[in-house]
Amino acid sequence: MDYVLDSAFDQENKCWSVSIVGEVDIFNSQDMKKSLTDLIKQKNTDMVLDCKYLDYIDSTALGALVGVLKNVKSYGGSIKLRNVKPSLSKLFKITNLDKVFIMEGDVND
Amino acid sequence: MTNVFSEPESIQLSLPLNAAYVSAARLTASSVANRLGFGTDEIEDIKAAVSEACTFVIKKSPAPQGGNFQIQFCMDKDKISIAIETQGDLGGDPGEMSLVMIEALMDQFTLDVGTGGTSISMVKSHKEELF
Repeated sequence: MDYVLDSAFDQENKCWSVSIVGEVDIFNSQDMKKSLTDLIKQKNTDMVLDCKYLDYIDSTALGALVGVLKNVKSYGGSIKLRNVKPSLSKLFKITNLDKVFIMEGDVND
Repeated sequence: MTNVFSEPESIQLSLPLNAAYVSAARLTASSVANRLGFGTDEIEDIKAAVSEACTFVIKKSPAPQGGNFQIQFCMDKDKISIAIETQGDLGGDPGEMSLVMIEALMDQFTLDVGTGGTSISMVKSHKEELF
């Protein structure tokens, strides 16, 4: 199982809207980081990550997201994570990253 | 469905030290935990803990990486015990994110580091009687 990023610039809210689908782990987390960082290079705005179809995320992917967040914050922006599944939001809590990202609308499994 | 558990049984996996196959370990962990009757939340915990143990071993193994590491799943009546073993002393900072996650997700967790090899052991017990 791999992952897919579906990104579009939200003109109305002036932010990147990105849907992450699938599983992100040590195999593809650096690829995800590069793709998200490239978006920020194109337009340095806030980013909304929809995680409704994100099935798994590991520590390397969490680290990659923190790296992207640092980049976004250097431009004064923020990252919102939406619809994170409870099993994954537990991983954010364990690592205290739920306090680092803005998390909205957890969905039930 | 018949009772799958007759006596303590085990599954051994030997995986390359290659990030491409961590998903294979997760699939196996998920399948075994499901077969043992663990609940959805527990299956996710076991899957994530196994994935993090594999990630730890692969990240810490010195380059150039070659060879395999071993995973053993032991299925018991009221618990699953999982051991991940590899050659060499990988060290390990207790604050390492993978280790913090495994400790939080599983009921028991130990990391044994030595010159002969590194071993991560973890146990998850059923909250209720299985059968």
